[in-house]
Amino acid sequence: MHMADALLSPAVGGAMWAVSAGATVYATKKITDMDLSQKKLPVMAVAGAFVFAAQMINFTIPGTGSSGHICGGIMLAALLGELPAFLTLASVLIIQCLFFADGGLLALGANIFNMGFIPCLIMYPLIFRPLMKKGISKAKLAGASILCCVLGLQLGAFGVVLETLASGITELPFGTFVAMMQPIHLAIGFVEGLITAAVVVFVWQVRPELVESSVHKEKVSENLSLGKVTVIFAVLSAVVAGGLSLLASAFPDGLEWSMEKVAGTTELEASGGVYGFVEKIQNTLSFMPDYDFAAGTGSGTSVAGIVGALLTCALALLTGFIITQMKKKNVDGGH
Amino acid sequence: MADIRNKISKVYSFEQMSRGNSIIHRVHPMAKIIVTVIYILCVAMHTKYRLLSLSPLLFYPVVVTALAEIPGRKIFAQSLVALPFCLFAGISNIIFDKKILVTIGVVAISGGVISSLAIIARCLLCVSAVLILVATTPFAKLTAQLVRMHVPVLFVRLIEMVYRYLGVLVEEAYTMIMAYRLRSPGAKWPHIKDAGSFLGQLFVRSMNRAERVYQAMVCRGYESGIYANQNEKMKLSDYLFMMIVIVPTVFVTLFI
Repeated sequence: MHMADALLSPAVGGAMWAVSAGATVYATKKITDMDLSQKKLPVMAVAGAFVFAAQMINFTIPGTGSSGHICGGIMLAALLGELPAFLTLASVLIIQCLFFADGGLLALGANIFNMGFIPCLIMYPLIFRPLMKKGISKAKLAGASILCCVLGLQLGAFGVVLETLASGITELPFGTFVAMMQPIHLAIGFVEGLITAAVVVFVWQVRPELVESSVHKEKVSENLSLGKVTVIFAVLSAVVAGGLSLLASAFPDGLEWSMEKVAGTTELEASGGVYGFVEKIQNTLSFMPDYDFAAGTGSGTSVAGIVGALLTCALALLTGFIITQMKKKNVDGGH
Repeated sequence: MADIRNKISKVYSFEQMSRGNSIIHRVHPMAKIIVTVIYILCVAMHTKYRLLSLSPLLFYPVVVTALAEIPGRKIFAQSLVALPFCLFAGISNIIFDKKILVTIGVVAISGGVISSLAIIARCLLCVSAVLILVATTPFAKLTAQLVRMHVPVLFVRLIEMVYRYLGVLVEEAYTMIMAYRLRSPGAKWPHIKDAGSFLGQLFVRSMNRAERVYQAMVCRGYESGIYANQNEKMKLSDYLFMMIVIVPTVFVTLFI
C-alpha cells in the first residue's frame, strides 16, 4: 500500500505531509507531557524493529497458495497504546522510505497517514478500545482486531485512491480504481486481522499487562482536550481541502467524474480565484510554455524533441562514465 | 533464507557507502537534504505529459553517483523496487488514455504511453535521489539535521533507535524461522495458524530485550532530550553545491 512519489502531485503530497507532521508533533508532545518518554522510548524502538522483522516473515495461507505479512498498525496500537504506536509506525515508514525505496519522500506524509494515522489514531481509539470497555476476553480481542484491521485497511486503501486521483496523474476512473482497490484490501485486511488477533491474544495470555495497560489508558485520551483536537483537525482539513480544490481545478478531467456524482457539477467555484492567481504566475514565469508533449505539437518538432531528450540522457550517462573513469585512473595513478 | 538477511544487509551496505570520503560525502548534510527535497519537488511538478523535459534531470543522479564513487548499478537496482505500484498506474493510463498525442512518421503515440513512461521516469528519479542521499550521508548526521529542523527530539531518537535495533530483531526472526524450517521439512514459511505464537513470541522476546536495553541505558546515565550539538556550519562550497544543482533543476522544471 506504499504510495510512490511519481503518483502524487506536490500539493497533495505537501498537504498530507502537513497532516502527518502535525499528528507526529502532537503525539510526541503528549507522550513527553505524560512523562512516558523515558520508559517508552526503548519499548517503542524495539517494537518498531519488531514490526520490521515481523513484516519479513510471510505466513502461508491454506488453499490459496499465497502468503501474507502484516502492516502492524492495529497490532502496535493494541500492544503499546495509540500514540506510541503511531510514532513507532511513522519512524518505521521513514526508514523504509529512506533505505528500501518503499514509497518516496514526497509520498511519506500520505503513507504515514494511510498506514499509521488511520489504524492507530482513528480505528483503535474509536473501535478497539470502546469494545474492551467492559472487560477483555479472548473472543473480544480477536473480533476487535479483525474488525479494526479490515476497516482500517479499507479506509487506508480509499485514502490511496483519493490521494492519487486528486493528484491527477493516473487516468483510472474513480469507479474502476475503487472497484480494484477495495476488494483486494478487504482480503488483505482480513488476513492481517487474523494474524493481529492471534498475536494480540497470545501476548494477552503471556503478558496480560501489556495489552491491558494500553486499553486502560483512557486517562490519556481524557487529557487531550476535545477543543484542542477539534481545532487541530479543522486547520488540517482546511489545508487538505485547500490543496485538493487547487488541484481539482488544475486537473479538472481527473476529478470531474467523482465531482459530478458528488456535487452534481464539475465546477469548483471557490477555488477559481486561487487557481487564476497560480495560472497568472505560471504564465509570467514560463517563456516557453507547452514545449513538451502537452501541446500536442506537430510531428516535426516532436521528433526533434525526442532526439534532443535522448541525446541529453546519453550525455548525462556519458558524463557519469567519464567521471568514474577519471576517478579510477586517479586511484591507479596514486598507487 | 537469504531473503530475510539480504534485506537487512542492504540497509547496512548503505551505511557502509555513506562512510566514504568523496567530494559529495563531504558536502554538508543539510545542503544535501535541501537539494534532495527541491529535486524531488521539481520532478513531481512535471505534469503528466512532460516526458522530454525530464531528461536533463538525469544529470543529477548520474553525475552525483559518479562523483561520490558509489555503485550506480546498486542504486538503480534498488530504485526498481519502487516500480510495481507505478507500473500499475502506468498501465492503466495506457488503457484509459488512448488519445493520439504525437505521430512520428507512421507511428502514432497515445497520451497514455507518454504519461506512463513519464510516471516510470519520475518514480526512478525521485527514488534514486533519496537513495543517493542515504548512500552519501551517515544516518547519524541525517538525524542530527532533523533535530536542527526542530523535529521533536523524542521522535528523532526513536528513528535512530529503530534503525539500530533492526539488525538485532531481524537476526532474532531469522533464528526463529530457521528453527521452524528445521522442524517442519518442506515448509518455507510458517502456517498462518501458528502466526499468533510465532509473532507473539518474537514480540515478547523483543519487549524483554527492550527492558534490558532501558536498564542498561539508565545505568550509563541516559536521559532523553539531551542532544549533543555537533552541527558544523555550512561552508561556501556547500552553498555552491546547492546552487549548481538547484538552479538548473528549477530552470528546467519551470521554463522548459
